[in-house]
Amino acid sequence: MLNMLLSQVLDLMTPVLLAAMAGALCGRAGVFNIALEGKMLVGAFVAVATSIAFGSPVLAVVSAVLCTAIFASPLALGGARLGGDPIVIGIGLNLLASGLTTYLLGAIFGVTGTLVDPAVTALPKLVVPVLADVPVLGAILGHNALVYLSWLLIFVFNIYLFRTPWGLRLRGIGEVPSAAAAMGANVSRYQTAVVIVAGGLCGLAGAQLALGSVALFAENMTAGRGWIAVVAVMLGRAHPLGIALACLGFGLADAVGLRLQGQGLPNQITDIAPYAITLLAMIGLGLRSMKKRSV
Amino acid sequence: MIAAALDTKSRLAAILFSIVAAVVLGGLVVGLTGANPISVYLEIAKGAVLGRGLDETLARSVPLVGMALAAAIALRAGLVNLGGDGQMLIGGLAAALVALYLPVPGVARAVLALAAAICAGGLYAWLAAILQLSLGIPFLIASLLFSYIARGLTSYLVRYPLRDPSTGMPETYRVASGARLPAHILDLPVSMAMVIMAVVAVVIVVNDRSGVNGFEWRMTGLNARFAQYSGVDLSRQTQRVAFLSGALAGLVGALLILGQQYRFTDGALLAPGYTWSGLMAAVLAMASPIATIVTSVFFAALQVGGFSMERALGLPAVLTWVLQALIILCLAARPIFFRKR
Amino acid sequence: MTLLQMKGITKRFDGVVANDGISLSVNSGEIHALMGENGAGKSTLMNILYGLLKPDAGEILVDGKAMDFASPLGAIAAGIGMVHQTFRQFPDLTVWENLVFQNEPRQGPFVSADAARDFVRRLGSRHGLEIDPDSRVRDLAVGIRQRLEILKALSREARILILDEPTAVLTPQERDGLFAAMRELASKGMALILVTHKIPEVIAITDQITVMRDGRVSGTLVTRETNEAEIIRAMVGRNVPPTVASKVTSDARPMLSVKDLSVRKGAVTVVDNVSFDVRPGEIVGIAGVSGNGQPQLISAVMGLESATGVVSLDGHDVSSFSIARRRAAGVSYVPEDRHLTGTAPAASIAENIVFGTHRNAVASNKGFLRKDAIRAQARKLIERFRVKAASEQLPIGSLSGGNMQKVVIAREVEHGSPLIIVEEPTRGVDVGAIEFIHQTLIAERDKGRAILVVSSDLTELLALSDRILVMFEGRINASLTGSDMNEDTVGRWMMGGAETR
Repeated sequence: MLNMLLSQVLDLMTPVLLAAMAGALCGRAGVFNIALEGKMLVGAFVAVATSIAFGSPVLAVVSAVLCTAIFASPLALGGARLGGDPIVIGIGLNLLASGLTTYLLGAIFGVTGTLVDPAVTALPKLVVPVLADVPVLGAILGHNALVYLSWLLIFVFNIYLFRTPWGLRLRGIGEVPSAAAAMGANVSRYQTAVVIVAGGLCGLAGAQLALGSVALFAENMTAGRGWIAVVAVMLGRAHPLGIALACLGFGLADAVGLRLQGQGLPNQITDIAPYAITLLAMIGLGLRSMKKRSV
Repeated sequence: MIAAALDTKSRLAAILFSIVAAVVLGGLVVGLTGANPISVYLEIAKGAVLGRGLDETLARSVPLVGMALAAAIALRAGLVNLGGDGQMLIGGLAAALVALYLPVPGVARAVLALAAAICAGGLYAWLAAILQLSLGIPFLIASLLFSYIARGLTSYLVRYPLRDPSTGMPETYRVASGARLPAHILDLPVSMAMVIMAVVAVVIVVNDRSGVNGFEWRMTGLNARFAQYSGVDLSRQTQRVAFLSGALAGLVGALLILGQQYRFTDGALLAPGYTWSGLMAAVLAMASPIATIVTSVFFAALQVGGFSMERALGLPAVLTWVLQALIILCLAARPIFFRKR
Repeated sequence: MTLLQMKGITKRFDGVVANDGISLSVNSGEIHALMGENGAGKSTLMNILYGLLKPDAGEILVDGKAMDFASPLGAIAAGIGMVHQTFRQFPDLTVWENLVFQNEPRQGPFVSADAARDFVRRLGSRHGLEIDPDSRVRDLAVGIRQRLEILKALSREARILILDEPTAVLTPQERDGLFAAMRELASKGMALILVTHKIPEVIAITDQITVMRDGRVSGTLVTRETNEAEIIRAMVGRNVPPTVASKVTSDARPMLSVKDLSVRKGAVTVVDNVSFDVRPGEIVGIAGVSGNGQPQLISAVMGLESATGVVSLDGHDVSSFSIARRRAAGVSYVPEDRHLTGTAPAASIAENIVFGTHRNAVASNKGFLRKDAIRAQARKLIERFRVKAASEQLPIGSLSGGNMQKVVIAREVEHGSPLIIVEEPTRGVDVGAIEFIHQTLIAERDKGRAILVVSSDLTELLALSDRILVMFEGRINASLTGSDMNEDTVGRWMMGGAETR
C-alpha cells in the first residue's frame, strides 16, 4: 500500500521535476522562463506523434527532446539575444504550443480531444518481480528510464552548477550580467545555450507525461504542471536539491489527491490540491522571510 | 514594469510586420499539413465578414474586448494579470448565484447579479495583489494559481450542490428570463451586453486619455520610482488596479452568463479562451486601450473566420489561435516594452 | 621608465568636447593623480584608457608600443586594470569564485576549489592584501570588497592600475590601508593612476599630478614641488564666481527645521543626530565626501526613509507625513538621479512637468486632465527655462542631460513651494545649463524661498551657498559662513576636521 503510494508519487513528480530543472537552469542564467507549460505540451505531442510514425519509444523521446529544443528557440533568440521581454515571449510560446498541438492533432490525425493509438506504447519499466514487495526499494524500482534519468539529472545539475567552470559562469551571469560581461563572459551565448538545453529538458518532461504511465496525448494535458514547475523553482530557490524536494511535495499532494478521489471525494476538489498546496507553500515561505526581515 | 518604448509610427510598423510574418509562418504550418494556405486564408477572411460573420464577430467581440481591456489596464500600470480565467469564473458564478437565488424582482436581480460579479472578480484579483504586496509572491504567479483553484471549485459546485439534475450536463438551473440581459434592444441587432461593454470601454479609454487616475497608472507603468517620488501610493494603486482588472473579468463572466448562456455550465466560460486571446490582443496593442479594442475585434473576426474555415475546409479552427500566438511572438522577440524593476 | 603614454586624446559626445587633446604620461613605480571637478573629463579619459570608449583622435602607448583597444579585454591583455567606483562583483558568490571567474583553475572538467583558494591566498600575501577566500562577497565590508576588486585586477597581471575615486566609500582606517597597499604596489614597479578630486589624499600619496578642467589639462605638477593652493587654482581656475550674498536677515522663522535626525541601517548609523535650519531667502549647501550620509539625510527629510527625530516645515511637525503630504505641505525636491527617480523618460515633457501637481485645479478638473492647460504650462516653462526641445509632446528621454535637468528644476521651482531641496543640481550637465541652473536657484532664493542644496561639487556649493554644512560620517561637523567658505577650509572639514592639518 505504502509502496504503491510512494511509487505513484515518484511517477507523478517526474515531469514536474524535469521541467523545474529546466526552469532553474534558465533562472540561474537570468532568463525568467514561464514557457515550461507550453514546451512540455509540445514534448508530449511530439513523443506521441513520433511513436505513431515509427513505433519506437526511444526515437519518440529523442525527437521530443530535439523538437522542444527547437520550439524554445524564440525565447533563446528573442529573450537572450534581441532584448525581447521573456514574460511576453513565454506567454506567446505557451499559447502557440496549446494552439499548434491542437491544430496538428486535428489536421494530421483527424482527432479532437484525446489521441490513442495501438502504436503508442508506454516506456518500458524496470520490473524486478521478487523485489517489488520489499518496502521502499520496491517503490523505487519499477519505473521507466526517464524517472531514473531525472534523479541522475538532479546530481548532474548540482555538480554542473557548483563544481564546473561553466556552472560558475552561469551563476555569475544570472546574478550580475554586466559584471560577467566585464570579465569577458559571453552572456548572450550562455543564455541562448541554456534556454535551448532547457527546451530539451522540457521535451523529456513532456515525453514522460505522455509515455510514462498513460501512452496517449490529450489537448492541454499538461494542465498547469508547467506552472507548478515555475513555482517549484521559486520554492527551491533554483537549487537542484531544493527543487527536488519541492517536486516531491507536489507529487505527494497529487498522489494523495488521487487516493482521496478513490475514497469518493470529487475529483474537482482533489484537482485543486497541487495548486492549493503550492500556493500555501509560497505563502509559508513568504511569511517566514517576512519574519526574518522584521527581526 | 511595462511601458511602450516605441513611438506611434514605429509601433504601427512593428505590429503590421508581425501580422505579416505570422501569416507567412502560419501559411507554412498549413502547407506542411497538406492544405492550401491561400484558400485557408480566403475562407477565414470571408467567414469573418460575409453572411452572419459580421454579427458573430460583433457578438464575440464583447467578451474578447472585455478580457483584453482587463489585461490592458493592468499592463498599463505595470501588472501582468494571468488570472483572468479565475476572475471570470468567480464573477460568472456570483452572477449566476444572484440571478438564480436572490428573491428580488427580475431587473433588480440582473443589476445585482452584475454588481456581484464585479465585486467577486475584483476581490479575487485583489487577493492575488495582496499576496504580492505583503508576501512578495509575484502577482503573475498568484493570479494564475488562483485560476486553477477557481476552476476546480466552480466545477465542483456546478456538478454537485448547484446542479440542475434535469439536464445531463454539469450545469446550474437556467436563469429566469426576467433576470437575463436582453439579446436585442428595441429590436435592433444590439444586445444589452454590447451596450454595457461599450460603456465600459468608453470609460476606460477616457480615463486612460484624460483621467487623473489613468494618468497616474500609466506613469507608474513607465517608472514606478518616479510615481512614488511624485506622491503616488504604489501599494494602494496596485490593489486598486488589480481589483478593477479582476472586476472587468468578472463582469465579462456575468455578461456571458446573463446575456448568452443563461446558466453556468462547467467549462463553457473558458472554452473559447477569451482570457488568453484578450491578453494577446492587449500585448499586440502595447496596452493602449483604444488600440486594444481594435486588436481584440480583429482577433474576434479572426476566430469567427476560423470557425467558418473549419466548416468549409475541415481544418481545425484552432489555426487562428496559432496565428494569434505567432503574431505575439514575432512582435515580442524585440524590445517593444521596456521594464524597470 | 615610462610605462604609459596617452597623447592628444580627443573625445566628443554629440558635439560636446569631453576630452580635448589630453596627454598623460605615467612611469613605472609612480602613483599619478588625475584630478578635476565633476565633469572635467576624468572619467571619459579613463574609460578610453580601459577600452570602454574609443577616442576620436590621439594614441595610447604601453611600454612604447601603440595600442588600439576594441574592448576592456584588450586593455586587460595589455596589462591595464581598473578598480571602478561601483564594484563589478557577484555578491552571492564567494571571494574565490569572484576572483577566478572566467579564469578558473581546473582539475579535469571541474573547478579546483583548492587551487583557487590557494591562488587567492598567495596573491593576497604577495601584495599584502589578505582576504578570506571562502567569504561570501555580500557579507564583506566595503573596504574588503575594494581589496577584492584590486586583487582581481592584479590576478590578471595588471601593471597599470586605475583607481576611480577609491576613497569615496572608505572609512579613514580603510583609506590608510588602501594607501599602504598602493605604495607597496608602486614599489614593485607598477604604475598607479588615482582618479580623485580630494586634495589631501593627492598630497599624501602621489608623485605626479595631472589636473583637468573643462576637458583639458590645466596643470601638470610634481607633488613634492607643489601645494594645495596651486592645485586648487588648476582645478577651479581663478574665476570662482563671487557669491551674491543673501539680503534676507537670518532671524526669520526657519522654513525647514531638522532636529536630532538619525537614520540607522542595521547596526550602522548613517545619519547621526543631525540638526539644522534653513530660513526663507537663504541657500544652505551640504558638502561632504560621498558616502557620509547625505542621500540618507535628504531621504529622511523627504519621508522616503524611516528616521528618528523631528522634521518641521514652517513650524509644523511633519515627521509622520508621507512624501506626498510633505510635498503638499510645501517642499519641492529635485532628486539626484533624473533618469531613475526624477522623470519617466518615455513619457512626454508635458506629462513629466505636470506629474506631481496633476491633481491641482490648474491641471485637472473633477478628475479629468486639462490637457490644453497642461501643454500651455509646459510650453511656458520650456521657453522660460530655455529648454532646447522641438515640442512639449516629445519624450523627455530624448533630451540632452542638461535640458532634462532644466525640465526637472523648472517643474520643482514652478510648484511654488516655500522650500526647495536640490540634490546634485548640475551633475552630468553642460556648462551653459550649469550657469542657468545656478542663476535660477539664486533668483528663487531672492524671491524669499528657502533652498537646500546637496552637491559633491565643491565649486558649485561655494558659488551658490550662503552657508555650508559639512557632513562627515553621518554628522554635521561644521557650519561655515563668510570667509570660512573657501575650498581649503571646507575641504579640511570634509576630511573630518581640524586634526587633519
